[in-house]
Amino acid sequence: MPKCTINGQEVEVKEGATIIEAFKKMSEDIAHYCWHPGLSVAGVCRLCMVDVEGARGPQIACNTVVREGMVITNQSEQIKDIVRWGMDFHLINHPLDCPICDQAGECGLQEQYMKFGKYDPEMGLQKVKKRKVVDLGERVVLDSERCILCSRCVRFTDEVSKTNELGIFNRGDRSEIGTYKDKPLNNKYSLNTVDICPVGALTSKDFRFRQRVWYLKNADTICNGCSTGCSVKTYYNEEGLFRVKPNHNEDVNGYWMCDEGRDLYKFANKESRLLKAKKFDGSTWEEVSAGSAVKSLSHQLLETIKETPSKVAVVYTGQFTNQEYADSLKSFDGLGVNNFYHWMNNQASKDEFDGLLIRGDKNPNTKGLQNEASKFSGLKKLENLFNELESGNIETVFVMAPENISAYPEYESHFKALSKAKNFIWMGANQTSCYESTNSSNTYLIPLKSYVEKSGTFTNHNGTDQNFNYVTTLVAGALTLSEAMTLFEGQDLDFEIRPKIYKTMKNNHFTSDRGEL
Amino acid sequence: MFKLSSEGIDFVKKEIERYETRRSAIIPCLYRVQKENKGWVPPEAVAELSQLMDLPEAWINEILNFYTMFNKEPIGKLHVQVCCNISCCMNGGRELASHLNKEFGVQGNEISKDGNVTITRVECLGSCDTAPMMQVNDNYYENLTPEKAVSVIKELM
Amino acid sequence: MQVKVLSEHYDKPEFQGLEGYKKLGGYVELEKAFKMDPKQIIEDVKAAGLRGRGGAGFPTGVKWGFLPDNGEPRYLLCNADEGEPGTFKDRMMMERAPHQLIEGMIISSFAIGSKKSYIYVRGEYDESIRILTKALDEAYKAGMLGKNILGSGFDHDMDIYVGAGAYICGEETAMISSLEGYKGQPKLKPPFPAIEGYLGKPTIVNNVESLAAVKYIIRDGVEGYRKHGTEKSAGTKLFSVSGNVVKPGNYEIPLGMPMKTLINDLCGGMKPGRQLKAVIPGGSSTPILTAEEAMKVNMDYESMAEFGTFLGSGAVIVIDDSNCMVDLLGVLMHFYHHESCGQCTPCREGTGWLNKLVASIYKGEAKMTDLELINGISNHMMGKTICALSDAAAMPALSFLKKFREEFEFYIREGKSKVKGSSYAQMHH
Repeated sequence: MPKCTINGQEVEVKEGATIIEAFKKMSEDIAHYCWHPGLSVAGVCRLCMVDVEGARGPQIACNTVVREGMVITNQSEQIKDIVRWGMDFHLINHPLDCPICDQAGECGLQEQYMKFGKYDPEMGLQKVKKRKVVDLGERVVLDSERCILCSRCVRFTDEVSKTNELGIFNRGDRSEIGTYKDKPLNNKYSLNTVDICPVGALTSKDFRFRQRVWYLKNADTICNGCSTGCSVKTYYNEEGLFRVKPNHNEDVNGYWMCDEGRDLYKFANKESRLLKAKKFDGSTWEEVSAGSAVKSLSHQLLETIKETPSKVAVVYTGQFTNQEYADSLKSFDGLGVNNFYHWMNNQASKDEFDGLLIRGDKNPNTKGLQNEASKFSGLKKLENLFNELESGNIETVFVMAPENISAYPEYESHFKALSKAKNFIWMGANQTSCYESTNSSNTYLIPLKSYVEKSGTFTNHNGTDQNFNYVTTLVAGALTLSEAMTLFEGQDLDFEIRPKIYKTMKNNHFTSDRGEL
Repeated sequence: MFKLSSEGIDFVKKEIERYETRRSAIIPCLYRVQKENKGWVPPEAVAELSQLMDLPEAWINEILNFYTMFNKEPIGKLHVQVCCNISCCMNGGRELASHLNKEFGVQGNEISKDGNVTITRVECLGSCDTAPMMQVNDNYYENLTPEKAVSVIKELM
Repeated sequence: MQVKVLSEHYDKPEFQGLEGYKKLGGYVELEKAFKMDPKQIIEDVKAAGLRGRGGAGFPTGVKWGFLPDNGEPRYLLCNADEGEPGTFKDRMMMERAPHQLIEGMIISSFAIGSKKSYIYVRGEYDESIRILTKALDEAYKAGMLGKNILGSGFDHDMDIYVGAGAYICGEETAMISSLEGYKGQPKLKPPFPAIEGYLGKPTIVNNVESLAAVKYIIRDGVEGYRKHGTEKSAGTKLFSVSGNVVKPGNYEIPLGMPMKTLINDLCGGMKPGRQLKAVIPGGSSTPILTAEEAMKVNMDYESMAEFGTFLGSGAVIVIDDSNCMVDLLGVLMHFYHHESCGQCTPCREGTGWLNKLVASIYKGEAKMTDLELINGISNHMMGKTICALSDAAAMPALSFLKKFREEFEFYIREGKSKVKGSSYAQMHH
């Protein structure tokens, strides 16, 4: 464990660590673009120059390994001068189109220019013209003039996604990032290139022109797209969620997440949500608040259930928190109910894994559900319930429906099949047109909160418990499963209790807070 | 659309075995395409090589676009490259190039109307003691005067 | 006068073929070397003081000494990507004496324990490639290459790799990248090629002339080799003289010879009616010398250093008083802009910036303050990048401006060349 001195402060780093890692450990400012902790060292932006006592000249911090006793600084006039000029080299051919650039507000060029730049522009000559608005693939757009050729995106496709679509073509100041025409950037991780692009060269088709980043707040949560459970950061404002980006979590997702996971915020936004509870009595639909719906449900069914709990079935999907499972299972168990069914959406592919992050089990918490259910009477296969319904053994069905309905192609057919129950209670976050076709003349649709609206714990594929906190409220009247059960049991919600704040995984400053790059 | 000849495909197969890694064969295989396609590499050849060599298109495209000896556009039957680096400049290289441009009625990298000639100005060809000089296809012609250069090219036509 | 060690037989056409080469003493040193301890050869090359002839002048034997002693496979790579403007010696060596290079390479490979070597030849050198290919074929047939060479028990394979037009591939790590099938872009150092080179294996990259010279260190011994040259610049070296001299060409001279002798006596001096104005002593990257300096400097590493420049690749570009320095710098800046690989920002952007600035002078668009800007840019390109191409572009800019500043100021002030009395547009169109 070598010790070195960074700008006058001593620090101990792990064997083989580079100087830039030592700077990061100390949270000392150091200019850089091409270095990224999740990629190989390119050493091309030449900004992370430092003085090392005894060295022949300035060294790049990203490719210099810390040795015992090194005395390192980037505060000398020489280094400041190099970095100032280095910024200018980066900017002479840059279009400086910040007012129309999506990256503005989280741009490495902007941030670092303010910290390290020269301020007096010296480039008075014609800039190199390059391609603009280049469609690289399904999700990513390139502006070559903004590109500073740090090669992060190319290294990502070579080293991480291993899909090799990107290259830097031509040479000198004519160099341009690009794809070969027949092979666009369509890998399942393509948007990571947008995250790691330190400037506005690569932008997300989904996000571009939709919000200025300074109008967005952000908060951390766990992706609910599959059983990997990537640590993510969600960006939102009063209009809803706008994007999701990965947070660094060495144990789970490293610095990355898949493109699919980035789309899931769409299911949480108001447009796709069940905003109010709905009651159907066989002839008309009535819209009521979630709370009163559950209370009337309680009035109507609580005693019946207590009397004949064996005629009640509860269907769970792996999309809820451990706390919700525990609370609801406990409630039902208390009422004597022990018919718990597991609605597993993709039985055949649930154990698939692409080697990087994407898992076949498209639920964030199948493990959690299984764990919690095993403390009670366990889970039965959903297919059996269909038979029970046919034979009339089951009269009342509660369904804890999934919120990521894109992963549930059988969502509508199951809705219809399960609604054959005499009393049918569908608890879920999403609105779809299939609800109209319920078979039950006593149907309740109860709006639940989405994953960003609650705190809790998901247990991922390998059994790691990951806590996450409330991000924002999108549908004010929606309930968590726990809240719904509290009301169902006839108790009132205690609004004094704030959502519990869990200790979450550590943040990634490199992808989440791009001012720090 | 360009396709490698069967001999060309054999060549590619041999080259990918020749070096320690397949990737090293990209340059020789691009040369082969250029040779079979009248002196230039059409973009679709990248896809064909990618498939034959089992290497990503982007890797081959990077090589194609990095090196100047691969022509990315059609070229005249005679590719006349006039050195315009320092020693040649001092001995009339640029004037020679201009003269040839005028004589054959071409500018930049365009092909003469008869399809015979493309004249490009290039960097040092390592024949500085015989300046001015030009390379026509694979051969060097040295100690030129504008008149001599014109007659060399006309003879080769 | 000339001392022809390497080039003794270059004017004999038969030296090109195996038979003629052998008659003139070819492959004798190979047999001699096989009887030596490889370590001894390395020591001899060190002691002979052979310095890399490609441009950097790094001691060849010392470079070999960096190889790890662990029996890992290692490669020898001959740098025949001669591209430094003004240099044409390696081309002559390969065309006149391909076996001399091959023999030097086998001896060197034996010394460093390499079983595989490549000659990386620039693609434009078609004639060299044809001749080398034929010579390799001859060498294989004669048992000079392949298994158990000349009964020595030493196996070695040699192949040619043809570049495709990129000056930067003359930089050793760029050459390795190119050979590996990547773009010819220099690699970060450390690790150095001797530790991790071609395919991550220990690799030695040496210039054509350096490798050929090894044969003569074996032939003449350390003392014999050191008979020519100076203490720190041992032996003879080929110089490519071009530009405005009466007799341009390659000249093999002992290191240490005054440049004055080379230019005035060997090359016949300046053309009639012309005066020497400046000399670029070691290829277009090396800082320019004024006429006065050129008449004082000697053709060796240490004398060049005294004058703030380098022996480089040995390309002596002699410039007479008919040339406009603004124009010539423009030619060089165009070249470096064309050749920057584009990896490191200061070089990628700086070479383009310098090219535009110098062009703006002869387009009549420059301001006097642009000269300071050129200096500023150049100074911030020096020593800031992975390889030396950035420095190679900056050094001519800095030295031209320092030594011929009045020509640049005149051009900016008057809008025309001080020398030619015309503007760039008139000069070339």
